[in-house]
Parts: sequence; C-alpha cells; structure tokens
Amino acid sequence: MKFSKIKKNIVFGVTIALSTALTSCSDYLDINATPNNPTEVPPSTLLPTGLAGSAFANANDLNRFASVIMSVTAGAAGSPASWDRYNTDGADFGNQWRFEIYGGALVNYDQLISVAEEINAYSYVGIAKIMKAYTFTLATDVWGDVPYSEALQGDENTQPRLDEQRDIYLGNSEKGIQSLFDLVREGLADLDRASAVNPGNDDLVYGGDISDWKRAGNTLLLKLATQISVVEPEVARSVIEEVVQGGSYIVNNDQNLSVKFGGQVGSQSPIYTYTYNSSFSTDQLISTRFVSLLQSLNDPRLPQFVTKPTGEYVTIDNGFAGTAPKAADRSMFSTYVTGENGVGPVRLITNWQRAFMLAEAAVRLGTTGDPQTLYAEGIRASMKSAGIADADIDIYFTNNPNVVTLTGSDENKIQQIITQKYISMYGNGLEQWNDWRRTGYPTLAPHQNAVGIDGTRPVRAQYINQEVARNPNFPNNIYPNVPVWWDVD
Amino acid sequence: MKKSLLLSFIFVLALVVQTWAQSKTVTGRVTDQETGQGLPGVSVLVKGTSVGTATSTDGTYAINVPSNGNTLVFRFIGYATVERSIGNASTVNVALGIDSKQLSEVVVTAQGIERDVRSLGYSTQSVQGEAVSQRSEPNVLNALQGKVSGVNITSSSGAPGASTNINIRGITSFNGSNQPLIVVDGIIFSNDVDNSQNTLFGSQPSGRISDINPESIESINVLKGPAASVLYGSRASAGVIVITTKSGKGLKGKTEVTFNSSVNWQKAAYLPEFQNEYGQGTQNNYVNNTTSSWGPRFGTEGYETVTTSWGETVPYQAYPDNIKDFYQTGRILQNSLNIAGGDQDNNFAAAISSTLQDGIVRESDFNRHNVQVGGNSKLKNGIKLGGTITYVKTSQRNTTMGNGGSAFGQITRIPRSYDLMGMPYKDESGNSIYFLPGQNHPLWSLENEFFESNVDRVFGNLSIGYDITDWLNVSYRVTADTYTDNRRQVLRIGAARAPQGQIDQDMRFRSELNGDLLIRANKNDIFTEGLNASLLLGQNINQRTSRQSGVVAEALTIPGFDNVSNGSVFTGSYESNTQRRLVGHYGQLSLDYKSYLFLELSGRVDQSSTLPANENAYFYPSVALSFVPTEAFNFQSDILSYAKVRGNIARVGRDADPYLLQSVFTTAGFGNNVASISFPLSVGGTSIPGFQIGSRIGSMNLKPEFVTSYEGGVNLGFFNNRLGIDFTYFNTKSTNQIFNVAVSNSSGYDTRTTNVGEMQNKGIELQLSGTPIKTGDFTWDVLVNFTRIRNKVIEIAPDVENSTITGNSFIGIAPSIAVGQPYGVIIGTANARNEAGELLINPSTGGFMPGVAGEVIANPQKDWIAGITNTFNYKGLALSALFDINKGGQLYSFSQVDMRSGGQVEMTGVDRDQPRILPGVIANGDGTYRPNNIQVSAQTYWSGLGGLASEAAVFDATAYRLREVSLAYSLPKAMLNRTPFGGVTVSVSGRNLFLYAPGFPGDPEINTQGAGNIQGLDLNGVPATKNYGVNLRVTF
Repeated sequence: MKFSKIKKNIVFGVTIALSTALTSCSDYLDINATPNNPTEVPPSTLLPTGLAGSAFANANDLNRFASVIMSVTAGAAGSPASWDRYNTDGADFGNQWRFEIYGGALVNYDQLISVAEEINAYSYVGIAKIMKAYTFTLATDVWGDVPYSEALQGDENTQPRLDEQRDIYLGNSEKGIQSLFDLVREGLADLDRASAVNPGNDDLVYGGDISDWKRAGNTLLLKLATQISVVEPEVARSVIEEVVQGGSYIVNNDQNLSVKFGGQVGSQSPIYTYTYNSSFSTDQLISTRFVSLLQSLNDPRLPQFVTKPTGEYVTIDNGFAGTAPKAADRSMFSTYVTGENGVGPVRLITNWQRAFMLAEAAVRLGTTGDPQTLYAEGIRASMKSAGIADADIDIYFTNNPNVVTLTGSDENKIQQIITQKYISMYGNGLEQWNDWRRTGYPTLAPHQNAVGIDGTRPVRAQYINQEVARNPNFPNNIYPNVPVWWDVD
Repeated sequence: MKKSLLLSFIFVLALVVQTWAQSKTVTGRVTDQETGQGLPGVSVLVKGTSVGTATSTDGTYAINVPSNGNTLVFRFIGYATVERSIGNASTVNVALGIDSKQLSEVVVTAQGIERDVRSLGYSTQSVQGEAVSQRSEPNVLNALQGKVSGVNITSSSGAPGASTNINIRGITSFNGSNQPLIVVDGIIFSNDVDNSQNTLFGSQPSGRISDINPESIESINVLKGPAASVLYGSRASAGVIVITTKSGKGLKGKTEVTFNSSVNWQKAAYLPEFQNEYGQGTQNNYVNNTTSSWGPRFGTEGYETVTTSWGETVPYQAYPDNIKDFYQTGRILQNSLNIAGGDQDNNFAAAISSTLQDGIVRESDFNRHNVQVGGNSKLKNGIKLGGTITYVKTSQRNTTMGNGGSAFGQITRIPRSYDLMGMPYKDESGNSIYFLPGQNHPLWSLENEFFESNVDRVFGNLSIGYDITDWLNVSYRVTADTYTDNRRQVLRIGAARAPQGQIDQDMRFRSELNGDLLIRANKNDIFTEGLNASLLLGQNINQRTSRQSGVVAEALTIPGFDNVSNGSVFTGSYESNTQRRLVGHYGQLSLDYKSYLFLELSGRVDQSSTLPANENAYFYPSVALSFVPTEAFNFQSDILSYAKVRGNIARVGRDADPYLLQSVFTTAGFGNNVASISFPLSVGGTSIPGFQIGSRIGSMNLKPEFVTSYEGGVNLGFFNNRLGIDFTYFNTKSTNQIFNVAVSNSSGYDTRTTNVGEMQNKGIELQLSGTPIKTGDFTWDVLVNFTRIRNKVIEIAPDVENSTITGNSFIGIAPSIAVGQPYGVIIGTANARNEAGELLINPSTGGFMPGVAGEVIANPQKDWIAGITNTFNYKGLALSALFDINKGGQLYSFSQVDMRSGGQVEMTGVDRDQPRILPGVIANGDGTYRPNNIQVSAQTYWSGLGGLASEAAVFDATAYRLREVSLAYSLPKAMLNRTPFGGVTVSVSGRNLFLYAPGFPGDPEINTQGAGNIQGLDLNGVPATKNYGVNLRVTF
C-alpha cells in the first residue's frame, strides 16, 4: 500500500503549515507592549498629581484624626470615635503613608523632578522640591523618624533606613542626609533659573505664578524653623531672620499655599467628601469644646466656621459615649473649610499662619518684628479669610482688648498666640496638633472615657503595620505616647 | 530546537512506508456478549504480524490475512481479549465479554486522547455525569465537592451564581491563577472571575464555569498532576478538569431524547443563635442609634417603650427572628432537553436547557439558558469531521456586600430589639428609614444597591482528521470560546457608599482561540512481540484577548432611573485591553509492553508573548512509568485481582501575565473609602489630567516559573475488584515564581515584579471504592476520597519574610505568603503575650495590651478533606448520600466579631449582669506577672476580646457535613412498555442538610472574596444555603 496523492498532499500541507508557523513566530509573539498605560508622561500631568496628593495627605484621614485629637471635632462612630478616646495603632493611616505620602505625592514629585530636568523645565523642578520638602515635613511630624535620604529609590533600595527626625530637619553630611531647609533652598534656586516650560492650569495652587511659589517656599522655611524653635532655637532664629530679611514670603491671603479642588464628585476636597458625601460622614461632628472656646472669646468666626442646621449648635463632647444627635441636625465643618460643593481649597500654609509664626518667633527668639502687630495681623487675616468685614473686625478688636492684646510673660504671650493660631488653623488638624505638641497650647482638657496607651493624648502616629511587616528597619514598639524629637516639653 | 522538532515531524511523516503481501480475506462481526449488539472500533490483529484493522459501526470487519497468519486477536478496551484460530474459515464471528478482572476504564486525558486507565503512570479521577446531575446544585464545581480526591472546592457563599474556588493538589503559584484549566469537549474554557469592584465590597460575580449546565455532562476527568497535564502546557500547572458533554457516540444507532426537570428550594443555613434578653443600647442604657445590643434587659421598669432615632415610640422587646426572616426561600428551576443519536462514527447531539434561580436574598437571581448542537461524521473518503457549538446566556443580579455601607455590612449589626422586617423601611419618597445615621435599611439596600451581569457566550470547536494509514492519523482542531459580559453596579441616590448615587457600567469581552495540530502514530509489536508504541506530535497556537471598558456616572438626578445618562458627573471612564499569544510544540512517546509495563515520555516547548522577546521559549519534560504485576506475573487471585504501581517525574513551565515587564504610569487618583478623587479633576470648569507612576516596579528580565512534581502510587483491586484502592503520594516544588513582591512603601512603590521564591506541596490522595453487598437486586457501593496536603512557603526573596497576596485586603488583615508558613496565611495583629505565652493585660483598663502587628494569625489551609459516598440500589430505587469532612483550616470572620462585640449572639447574653475578667496576666514591672484580676463589664469583655483586625476574629473552620443526599426511583421497564417512554426516574435531592462545625457559630464554608488566591475571609457576605428539591428525568 502506498500513500495516495491526497495523503501526500496532507503531509506536504502539514509540513508547510508547521514551518510557516515556526518562522513567523517572533512577529506573532511580539505583542507585549501595553496598550493600557503610558510609559512616559509630561510634567504637566505629574504636578497636579503631586499637589493633590499632598493635599490629601494633609486633609484626608490624618486631618480626621488630628481634628478629633485636637478637640475640634468629636467622634460619633467608627475610627473618629476610637481616636476620640486616644486609641490609634499601626492599622491606622496605612493608606495615607502608602498611597498619599510616599507612593502618592512624594514619588511623583521625584518623577516630576527627573522628567522636568530633562527638558530644562526648572519651574516644575523648583515647585516639586518645595512640595517634596513640605510633604516630608508632614511625614516626619506625624511619625517622627522616617525614611528620607534613602526613600523613593524604588528597585535600588526596597528597604530604606529610617533617618532621625533631627537629621531630616537639620541634615547630616556624615550620613549623606540633606536638610529639609536645604531641599527648600534648592527648590527656590531652581525657581530663579530660566525654565523652558512653565505650569499653568496644572498648578492647582497658584495657576503658574512662580513669584507666589517663591513666597510659599520661604514661608515653608519659616514653618520648618518654627517647628524646631524650642529644641534648636539658634537654627530657627537664623533661618527666620534670613527669610524676614529676604522679604519674600506670604503677606496676604491670596498668597496662601492652598490646593484647589472641584465641585463635582471625584474632584472634591477630601474634607468635603468625608464630611458630606461618604458613608463615613456621620463618624464626626464639631466638638462642644471648640464651640465653647469660640463662644467664650465672642469670636465672630464661629458662625462662619461651624454649621447649625437647626439654628443652634448641635455638638457632642469629646469622648462622649451616649446617643449622638441626629445626623441632619449636627454642626459640621462649614464651607469655610470644605468650599462650596467641595471646591476647597485645602490650605497647607497660610498668611495668618505666617503672621503667628513671626509673632511667636519675635517673642521666643527675639527675631525682627513687633509681636503685638504680628499677632493682630494674624487674627485679622484669619477673620478676613472667614468672611468677616473689616468694620466688624475693628468692632471685635475694640470690644475684646483682652483677647487681641498680648500681655504678661513671654510664656503667656506664646499661649495667646498659639491659642489664636489654633482657632485660625481650623480645618488643618495636623498644624494644630504640631503646635500643641511643640508648645502645649492651647490648653486642652482630657477627653471623656480616654483609654489610649496610658490615658494620654497621642503625640505621634504609630508606624503602619505594612512597613513593620515589610521593612525590618521599622521598630515595632514605638507607641503613640512617645514624643517626637522636636516635642520636648 | 525549532529545527530539530521540524525534522522529527518530517522524519515520522515521510520515512515509514511499508508494503506487504496478501493472501486471504477473512470477514466477520464482533458483538457484545451481553447485548448481542455490534461493537464498533474493536481492534482485529493477525497474531504475529503487524496486520490489523478495526470493526466498523455495526461491528463487522474484513481483514486480509497473510499466508503465515493463522490466529486473529480481538482487542477492545474494557473487554477481555479473545484469540481465534482461523483455520480454513473465511468468516470468524466473535462475542466479547466484559473483562471483570481488569479495572478497565477508558478516560479522556490531555488533548482529548482516550486512554486505558491501567496504562497511565499518573493519577486521574473520573466522575460520571450522573454524579453531578440533579443534585440540587446548578454549579458543576459545587456538585463535585467531596467526589474527587486531591481537590479542594470551596463555594463563596449562598449568593446565586457566586464563584467557587477550586485548587487541585494545593496552591502552586504565588501570584498566578491556581484554578485548574477547564477543558470542555477540547475547548479551553474560561473559568475567569472578573471582579468589577474591590472584592472587599463587591458582589460575588460568577466564575464562568457557571455557564455549564451540569445536565449536559457525560463525564468529568480530573488530571491532577503536572505529568497528567503536561500536554496542555503552561496553563495546566494547576491541573486540568476535562469535561465531556453528552454525544450520540455510544448510542449504537439509536436516537434518544432525555428530558430533565427539577425544582429546588434554598434556605439560609446555619445562622447564629442570638440572645433575646437585651436590646439596643450600650452600658445598660438604651441608645437608639447604636448597632449594639448592650442595652437594658427586656422588661426593665421604665423601658416598656422607647423612642427610635426617627422619633417613633415603639415597644422595647426582642424580635427573635429578625435576622432569620430577612432571608427568603430561594428557588431553582431547571429544565433541559437533550437529543442524541447515531453511532461511533456518525452522530449528533443537541440540547437546550434553562436554569432560573431566585436567591435566598431578596432581589437576587441567577438565570442561565444554553443551546448546544454538535456532531461527528466520517466521510466516504475517510475524513472525519466533528464539531460542537454552544450558546449560553447567563444573567446574575446580586446585592453589594462587605463591611459598612451595604445590606450585609448592616445585617450583622442589627440590634435584637430592632423590628427589622416589621417596620416600614422606606418613606413615601422612597428614602430609607433606619436607626443608624449614614446607613440604610438592609431591605432598602437590596432594592437599591445591586450588581448585574449579562453574559452572552459562544464556544465551539471544529476538527478534521484523517487516517493516513491504519497506524498514522493527522487531525487539526480549532476551538474558540468568547463572551461578552455587560455589567453594571447601581447605587441609587441615597446609597451609603455613594449618597448622590452612582452607576458603574463595565463592559467586558474575552476570547480565546486555539489551533491544535495532532499527529498520532501507533505501531504494535515493534522490535519484539508485545511491544506497542504510540507517538504523538502536536502543535498549539493560542491567543487570548480581553477587553474592558466602562464609565462611572456619579451624582444621579432622577431617582430610580438606572442608566449612566442619569449621571451629572462622569468619573473613572476606563479602558483596558490585553492580548497574549503562545505557540507550543510537544511530543509524547508511549510504550506498552504486553499490557503490563508502560512507559511514557513527554516534552513540550512553549514560546510566550508575555516573556522578554529574546528569552521567551522554555522546555519542560515528563516521564511516567506504570507496571501491572498481576498481569506480568499472572498472580491474580480471588483475593488480589489487580495491582498496579506507578510513578512519574514532571515539570511544567508557566509564563507571566501580559505587560508585566515595564513600569508604567496610571491615571492618578487618591484616597480611600473615606474620601477619594480621580483624575482628570474638574477644577473651576477646567479639566486637569493627572498621571502617577504605577505602584508596581516592572522587570525586563522576567523568566518563566516552574512546577516540578514527583508522584508515586498504587492501584489495588481485591475480591474480583469488589474493593479498590487508589493511593497517590506527591511532592511538588514551585520555583522561580513570578511574583509582585511587596516592598517597603517608603521606596515609593508597593510591589516589584520578579522571579523569586520556592514553595512546596506534599500530599497524599486516597480513594477507596467498594461494594460491601451485592445480592441479586440489592447493591451497596461505597466511595471514599481522602486528601491531605501540606503546603509550605520555603523562600520568598532575599530579606523578605512575608508578602501580601495580590488582591484587595483590609489594612492589617493581609492574606500573605510568609516563609515557613502555608500559602495564604493571614497576617494581622496578635494579642501581646509574655514569654510564657500568657496574654498581657493593660493594668489601667483591664483590657488587652496593645497587640503586635505583622503576626501570622490565621491559616486557611485545611488539614485534610474526606468525602464518603454511600450508594444503595434496590431494584429501581437508588439512595446516595455524600458525607464530607473538612478538618482544620481557619476562617477570619468580620461577621462573627460584629455580632459578638455588638452583644447579639447567644453567649453574650449569658450572665450579662455579672462582671468578668479577661484571661491573662499583668506585668509587675520586675519581670514577674500576676494573674489578671481586673473586673470588666460584659460589654467591655466581649468587645475587648478583639476588634476587627485581631486574632480574636479567627475561628476554626472544621466542618462535618452531610453534603448531598439523593433518592431516586426508576419506573420498571415493564410499566413503560405501553408508553412512549424508555425510562422515567423521579428523585428527591438535598444539599448541606446537616452540619457540625465545632469551632464556628455558622457555616464555615464561606469565602467572601470569591474564587482566587485569597481565601479564608468572612467579610460580611451572604450565608451558605441548604437546598432540597425534586427532580424528574424522562427518556424517550
């Protein structure tokens, strides 16, 4: 029996098919470039990412936490109720650390710096460095020692070491750590260089105004110096004096470093979303203590700051264990904090904050400037921002000389300054918490039913569980009752 | 490699041509001894020569016997071989009897090749279609539970259509799918579970195997180890389930019509026992908006009535059935009609079926309609054609689940005094009325927060084959499986998770094409008499495509108008397309010496598009040996009737997922469920785009991952095979795993993709089959399946002790791999303990000291699994009961913690007015400890036992279960003589009718995140069900 013709044809056909398939294999298989994601993006798409990330880091869950801890809001349910009793642990703020701070704003500022340097877009580089410093400050102020000099290196270093907070602020050349001050100064120098491309609408803060960014950078130097002014007065004095002499810092409310959001779902300020448009919106309301404080000072900002759906302030005390008032009746953050429909802005560094910082420095460190003038300037700027007419501010100043006039010892003056700063920083819980930890002001009574580690108000956040699990450099036993480096009192 | 393969093809095809002399023609017919019907496909050989033929469809044959031939050998799988001398006869008729001594069983192995079980050097296990038909279960995987050893099957929940997890011989890949490859009639069949939503808050979409109608299944064969599945290549490293649907092949010329109909009912099963003495409140005070039941005792003076959070005055009393009544009786209605006819060569089959299911949860359903046609034909010129095509339409509607803002996030937080089902749950304008601010009444949620999926699926194959000579066959087969899944999640205005409403429309498409060339050569008596060889050469070209696009409409305007055009803001419009290709070449040489010694050598080379272009080819071999001493030494006796020993070594390589090589940018977004944004932002009327670097670091030198397996086993038959034992030991090692290793987040990234690690699975599988009683009309059959697998992660990566499994998980409750631990352990917060292991108590509160994060707190892997099926037949009556045991394994339960810390479950009501002391010790400060003596209230005690992220949420998932019962009655043939019916069977069946779970106050078979690598989490999902129903089968 022999192969018939048809059989031969089949054999031939199969052989041809096989060899064709084999030779064209490499083209056939060359389809692994992703159609779903870009591998390169322009600076204009990275800047808004970083800015929104920094705003989220400041204003999302960490703000929920710090505002409760600072007796501005009170917890009615969920995490805020737990924080209100001083309970926090490594399960808190994982999202903030991972996706807002390190894997959010910071890593994208680094991307922005390298992309922008390639095309000589130095305005982007400068903004990125200033905001990177701001965001690292936020991280170290909340957690103490954090990865800094070895952070953000991706594959190059997947287990970065922790840098001591002192080294992060002041630098340490032996360990190759650049100080935050120098990082900001580097950013300011970049802003002075000619830039091939400049931001516009993608700059969610100043719409591309570089001179405003320079003011913001210098004011950030003031904030860094203020934060270490108790523990490192000499460094603080010299930095503050340098900035004051330079004369380029935020001097009116329009120059605030504040991030704009949109009025639509998906574009809104996080404070708006968690206050009004989330299943967590019933977790917190304004604290009775904050309302009482402003009432005791006859402060005209109270109705501007705090809503009263029923016509009365409906609040609860911190640590309250009973029935919380009906959600619809509760006093909440007003549009001063959230913006109309959530447009914000999220205020990161403000004009009144600058005035109070300089007032405090003048008292504490003897830097240039009259404390009383600066103190009054801070109060006026804040009231103005809250929508109080100049005439009404004047009336308030006339009727409440004991509030608006610094008196007594330096310590007493600092207490007055920080208490007014606390009121004016309403909505920015982290800065309120920073000041309270650094100075002990304003004087806050313990919360009801407090538990925590030892019944005391948290003075840091615990390292997130993921880092403890993933990076052996993270210690596992630093609890929220351990002060950070600059917190010496 | 390419060249040598090609050469070998040509060699085999071209070189072997033979001619031989002929002298005499013998004809005859081979029949079945029992039925007298012709047997097609029987091999007829002239003994001592290579001359042979096969019988035709009616059993007849004609053979040219050479002059030196004087004996004919008739061989047919499953029948005793018969030899007949020819003498002068020109007609030789033979009746073959079934060989009871052989455990002869034909199974469908890799690439659809039918093999005699005895020749296999590896373990497979087949299940006949009847075992999954009419079992009160529309999902074939669930119906397989307890019936196959080495296989672990876990259903997700009682939600209709919810996916089912299946792992064969443990978990072998860190990151890839560990679900077996499903092959239906040669078609690689998608069992993908696509999650539209974060699985922590999702709604349990189906695994696509739910598109299969169990009634259409003829048989299922499970290929367990790499040796069995090597010919399927990369995709089969997690095993293969080969499903064969009903065809007309075995009908011997008849046409048969079968009608199946069944109705089943479902009830929510094993809900916890509740306390009914204390109502809503905290610390013995009534609080009208708390989820807790720590309020005053019912009947306390002054608490006859209370005011609800919306101002109504209601009696303060227990509503003992408020949770039970939340569930309804579900219903599954199944009808199918199968028509099949023909014979071995020419046959056809057609089937239509419908499955209509209403779940135990209101407003949830699952509906499936299948239409299938297929057939085979042998043309006059010898070409064989075959094909099937099936269209399936499946729809599913489920509610959203998960912690917090969902019906099931609330149902575990209902106070005992809340009249859940008796009070109005919505007002006139349709808004929810509920005690808890910011949340909705669960009934409102069921109506207004839901997920819908509509699948249209077509799959089919077409094959063409030709016997070039009697020993050489060539065939080509094309298979296709393609579907669209049109989905959306609707959260209507007022939904807790999207108060302004949200519609997430998600359109998915998936297709897979395969072209398979198979060349098969068989030669008997090569080199020496009794040495038979078969060679298989194959080529596979594979392409898989998926496309997904969608849009999220937010801020809805018109209540109840569930269309994306109702949105006033559109966020997260997205598109994702993937395509991957693979070309494989393989060969297998099988040698059979005198039907007692078998050797099989296989090898396959794959080239994959997903690996770096210059290094995308990888080879893997296997060798399998099987020996049947009872046949070799002819020592069969009445006691030991059959013995076989077998062993194999195999390796399977596996490629990566597409697009893992590069680091990429993604559309930016921030936040969590507290608040979030996604770019482009709309700021002041301007749209601002934003991108961010992805959280994963890519790798340009990724390599394939491998599984190496060593397997050995024995098959024994005793007492004329009344007792059968099938024992297997296996040891698999997974290396070079393609894994997204978690990195310190301060590196700026979350994971990096790389080849790392090593994992081991050791296990034993045991099947015992026996017929303890067989007398006349009565038989009692027992089948026992036992599986014990020990999985261990040996190594992850340098300096990496643990890593989170890819997927969604809550912070602090991370399903992980950890060195020295089994796959999938949950890393969370363990209670603080002293060196002696005693719990440490905080001296200022009486509660536990702060826990230690990053500790392994739960292991979801089971110690062992056993299933015992008893079947009793008496005349037309058949009773079958499957009892199964899942020993060990741990479950992490949000639901139980909710109900315990909320004071709802029974134990929290016992002696509630008594103070109590948490177990543990207090540090004295000098290294010594004193027993805890700080009294706390019942509320503090039960809440103090642990929050959601602690080890107190871990439960033992051991379960003893009556999985399945079926009682069927077939009408006697005599009764049907004057009817058109060939057979009528009625049956009653039930599932999950009895459960004993000593470590868990409910049904521990729950897996809220559905099929996938994350297991052992009960995150506020739908409970399991009990099913029971009646079935009818009529054949014409």
